Amino acid sequence: MFFVSLVVSLILDVLLLGFHIVHYHFSFQYIPEFFALFGFFGCILLIFVAKGMGYFIVKDEDYYERESGSRG
Amino acid sequence: MIEWIHPGVVICLGGFLIPLIKWRSIKLAFFLLLPIAGLAILILTSMGHFGPIPSWPESLHTWRIPFLQWSLELGRINKLSMVFAYIYVIAAFCMNIYALRVKNDWEHVAAMIYVGSALGAIFAGDLFTLFFCLEIMSWTPFFLLAFRGTKKAMGAAVRYILWHHFSGVCILAGILMHLHKTGSIEFVHMPWGWGGDYLGYNLMLLGFIVNSATTPFHSWLSDTYSEASPSGSIYMTAYTTKTAIYCLIVAFSGVELLMWMGAIQAVFALFLAVLENDGRRLCSYHIISQIGYMVAGVGIGTEMGINGAISHALCHIIYNALLYMGAGCALVVVGTAKFNELGGLYKYMPISFWLYMVGGFSISGFPLFNGFISKVMTIEAAELIRRPIIYLLLEGATVGTFLHTGLKLPWNMWLQSRDEPPPNIRAKLKDSALNTPISMLIGMGILAFLCIFMGVYPKILYDMLPFRVEYVPYTTTRVFSITQMFIFTFLGFWLLRELVRGYPTYTLDTDWFVRIAGKRMIWFCEKPVMAFANFIDRNVMNMAGFLVWFSRNPVAALGIKTEEVKLIGKRLFASSGRMDEYESALEDERRRYPGEFPRLTLGTSVFLILLSLFLYLIVYLLMVF
Repeated sequence: MFFVSLVVSLILDVLLLGFHIVHYHFSFQYIPEFFALFGFFGCILLIFVAKGMGYFIVKDEDYYERESGSRG
Repeated sequence: MIEWIHPGVVICLGGFLIPLIKWRSIKLAFFLLLPIAGLAILILTSMGHFGPIPSWPESLHTWRIPFLQWSLELGRINKLSMVFAYIYVIAAFCMNIYALRVKNDWEHVAAMIYVGSALGAIFAGDLFTLFFCLEIMSWTPFFLLAFRGTKKAMGAAVRYILWHHFSGVCILAGILMHLHKTGSIEFVHMPWGWGGDYLGYNLMLLGFIVNSATTPFHSWLSDTYSEASPSGSIYMTAYTTKTAIYCLIVAFSGVELLMWMGAIQAVFALFLAVLENDGRRLCSYHIISQIGYMVAGVGIGTEMGINGAISHALCHIIYNALLYMGAGCALVVVGTAKFNELGGLYKYMPISFWLYMVGGFSISGFPLFNGFISKVMTIEAAELIRRPIIYLLLEGATVGTFLHTGLKLPWNMWLQSRDEPPPNIRAKLKDSALNTPISMLIGMGILAFLCIFMGVYPKILYDMLPFRVEYVPYTTTRVFSITQMFIFTFLGFWLLRELVRGYPTYTLDTDWFVRIAGKRMIWFCEKPVMAFANFIDRNVMNMAGFLVWFSRNPVAALGIKTEEVKLIGKRLFASSGRMDEYESALEDERRRYPGEFPRLTLGTSVFLILLSLFLYLIVYLLMVF
């Protein structure tokens, strides 16, 4: 079911572009399957970059409590 | 024609009456009645009972009160303030239903004053009234936080008030500089630029930016909203930030800086949301991200941009309250909203789940939900002014929003491929499918209905906007592109779903700088500054002690001091036996001190008095000439 919709949307994209039914503002939006690629890689990029950031900024749950506790 | 009644004043004063009502059912009915009364006033205003509302940007001015040499204006009614007011009271009604089960009357009072002062701020026609209302608005959430009673909530409350005092002081400084420069206190569009001449406006903008939780000043929002009580946090999601957006629209629309800040914020908050483990903190990051759209819309400043910002603010109040209520349901029912402790709740709370999903689809901007009709306006405004980077940032934020609120949160909280929740959570659930209190479901239901209704029938929203809208959101292009994008986002999520699982961690945010700097500051005050102060203190006290000692008998004291100096000289030459003699003599003298005072004869006294008078005369003459 889900993969059917994936394939349908891919084919539909080419058809809509081919028959000039869709109208965009920027030239890069006319790249075939632009929005599919944007959605997929946007999602992946977001997760990986965030995980990379997490390497620096993710701490234990009681980070601030511990920090203020050590001050006494 | 009758005099206009300020709905904010009605709700505020009405709020104070709540604890006085003895019977609980009447009390709750009255609590629900307050926003309805506000709504009734607004409808009468729209119908022209208090004078016709002129077309934008003209406005109807009422409730003028003289104050010093100025005239305060509590009621400036125009299309912009009316559209905000409508959504404020409608949202307040749904939130009140959600909050009915709260036992503490004072929480209701704080909430109603909060709503009332927010209405006061958007109807304020002058800067003093605006500032006054914003100040009340910064205090009432403090109580909503404090009423939760936990130590963490108290800490968050104090941080909240510190942030908002900072923004309040910035706004006040801006207002005073503006007043000094122009002599006018009217709240209108402000000039913009950098540098000395515009310092006041820069400060004012900074204040509004802090209030609207724009990056990098956004961290107070995720910090505090997730600590408030489940119903208290719902109120907080709606009013403070949206009122700040209103202020930005009035005062600083078209400032390009805002466009960039907004677009960056919309994406930045999502990175932090990926790492988040607490459901309510995740929703907080989505508030921040969605505010990015509004700030960007204000910064774009075209009619389309402003309309997009306003309509997004309004839709946002509705779907975000719904999201927060959904995440709050879990907190109310099982006592936690953390992903690593949840999962598999669907079987026990299916209605909450589906109502939450309506909010999730709305915030993502699915066609037929209200997020779609407002979000595409802002995005298209960026397209129309030919800003591809802004466009890509905003569109990318749409992807991330769907990833989190539409997929990550429901997956982790309700589904997580578990049929049953973990045993300790399961123990708190009844066997039925109806674990959520009914009043909460009704509040959520109304909001979910509004989400879908506005999404299907956008005209009702567009007709209220200040600029005329001839905008058709449902075009093949937009509906198709956004649907395709979401399908592929789902694919990406499904492949990486193990990565977005919740872990019991805490993610640092920009408030780290403030909190750590604050701690360093306290350390600095406690250690080096205190040491220095002690040093000074000790020396001053010694000096004072010496002067007291010296003044008892200056002549003898002078003698002792001279002896001491002489002793240092003698030590170089004298033998040790003689030294002991000298030292014991000095010790004797010290012991006798202050000893006998020298006697003054009458003649000497008169001479001294005359001498001092003579010196005084000389000083006096020198001063005169």
